[in-house]
Amino acid sequence: MKAWMCMNCGWVYDQATGDPMSGIAPGTAWEDVPDDWKCPDCGAEKADFDMEEI
Amino acid sequence: MTVMPKLEDLVDQSFDPFVVEKLSTGDCPDPYPRIHELAARSPVIEGSYRMQFTDVPDAQMGHLPQVMVLGYDAVLHVLTNPEIFRNKEAFAPNLGKSFGNTVTVMDAPEHTRFRKIFQKAFLPQVVAKWGESVVDPVVSRLMENFIHRGEADLIEEFTHHYPFQVIYAQVELDPAQGPTFHKLAIAQLLSSIGLPQGPEASGKLGAFFTELLRQKRANPGPDLISHLANVEADGEKLPDDVLVSFLRQLMNAGGDTTYRGTSVLLTALLTHPDQLAAVIADRSLIPAAIEEALRWEGPVSSTFRYCSVDTEIMGHPIKAGTYINTVLASANRDPEKFPEPDKFDIFRKNTVRNLAFASGPHLCIGQHLARVEMTRALNAILDRMPNLRLDPDKPAPAIIGHLLRVPEHLWVKFDAS
Repeated sequence: MKAWMCMNCGWVYDQATGDPMSGIAPGTAWEDVPDDWKCPDCGAEKADFDMEEI
Repeated sequence: MTVMPKLEDLVDQSFDPFVVEKLSTGDCPDPYPRIHELAARSPVIEGSYRMQFTDVPDAQMGHLPQVMVLGYDAVLHVLTNPEIFRNKEAFAPNLGKSFGNTVTVMDAPEHTRFRKIFQKAFLPQVVAKWGESVVDPVVSRLMENFIHRGEADLIEEFTHHYPFQVIYAQVELDPAQGPTFHKLAIAQLLSSIGLPQGPEASGKLGAFFTELLRQKRANPGPDLISHLANVEADGEKLPDDVLVSFLRQLMNAGGDTTYRGTSVLLTALLTHPDQLAAVIADRSLIPAAIEEALRWEGPVSSTFRYCSVDTEIMGHPIKAGTYINTVLASANRDPEKFPEPDKFDIFRKNTVRNLAFASGPHLCIGQHLARVEMTRALNAILDRMPNLRLDPDKPAPAIIGHLLRVPEHLWVKFDAS
């Protein structure tokens, strides 16, 4: 299974959960996450995420 | 073929860094009443965290202007604003002396470059593979020493050794050199309190890793050092001084914290037998148990940052040049975020993330490995030590220390196999 992962800390974006603390509702597709959103664990940019095998 | 370099012991072989280290972390049985009292007063209080619990002067930091930052929101603010609250000045006088030029002592943009290269070696999908290949054999070997007895001290005989032996296995260290390695890794921390064994240990570990790196570059294998010596991010490799410093820190950051975290996890479950029974009945509760143990008694109670500009935290002015005691333990026991915060409860629902591994760009690189190690250790104990319980004839475990907390003993009984 593959998922979008933060390359700075390893946090994985789960579409089903989203990131409610940052205003990303559960069910939000990765493509719809705003470009200025940051990794909730380490603060890295969305551009620092890669699609990785998990 | 790699010929493992010889690791030199301290000149004074009778010097015991473990005793000195234990003295420096203190024997405070319960810092939380004081932490709650401070946090209720204000999110920012003048003074140092350490001086709340000990009268022993802080030779390195005691003369510097310091504040404590308390509560989840204030702590998170400090950790996630690295352009204001910097690492370099905060850690150069202490960890920087022990380890050298590590990522802990860097800020962006240097930190951003190197962090990404190191993290690549410790991403979840990488460390998950080490669970079976590296962690399980170490855990199994240690358990063979006591599994037949039906009783053990899980700290002295297990948790104090297994994360360090995982590191020895990852760097393919000759097991005979393990005790010297462990001793030097602890002794190097004493640089920050001015003892000569500190720089001596840092120098000896540095010489050892420099030679090992040279050999691993010439003959790379499947081990961690070969991987780090050759790993790239955005076309860049790690410079030797940064890599040697990281390897010095690995023992403490990866070994010491996991030893404390696992010890607390086992203590928490054994002193809450209903929750231990629930985990035995349903192993899918293990991740929640680990997160709750990390929240309840995180391995590191407070960390430093340096305030680089005049600013404010939750309305409280902070002057440039102030050292910030960022009290992680107060964040993880903030009653606004964790109802009944002093209660160990693996069934907590809808809580925010705990800050045991910090947050922001310096979030613990090894957090995923720590979780793999704790999971494997707990599963092995539950598999091989049926009817596990505290030894009623021995003192109950007591978690002590104001900064780095751990019980000294965890005496248990179980059905021998």
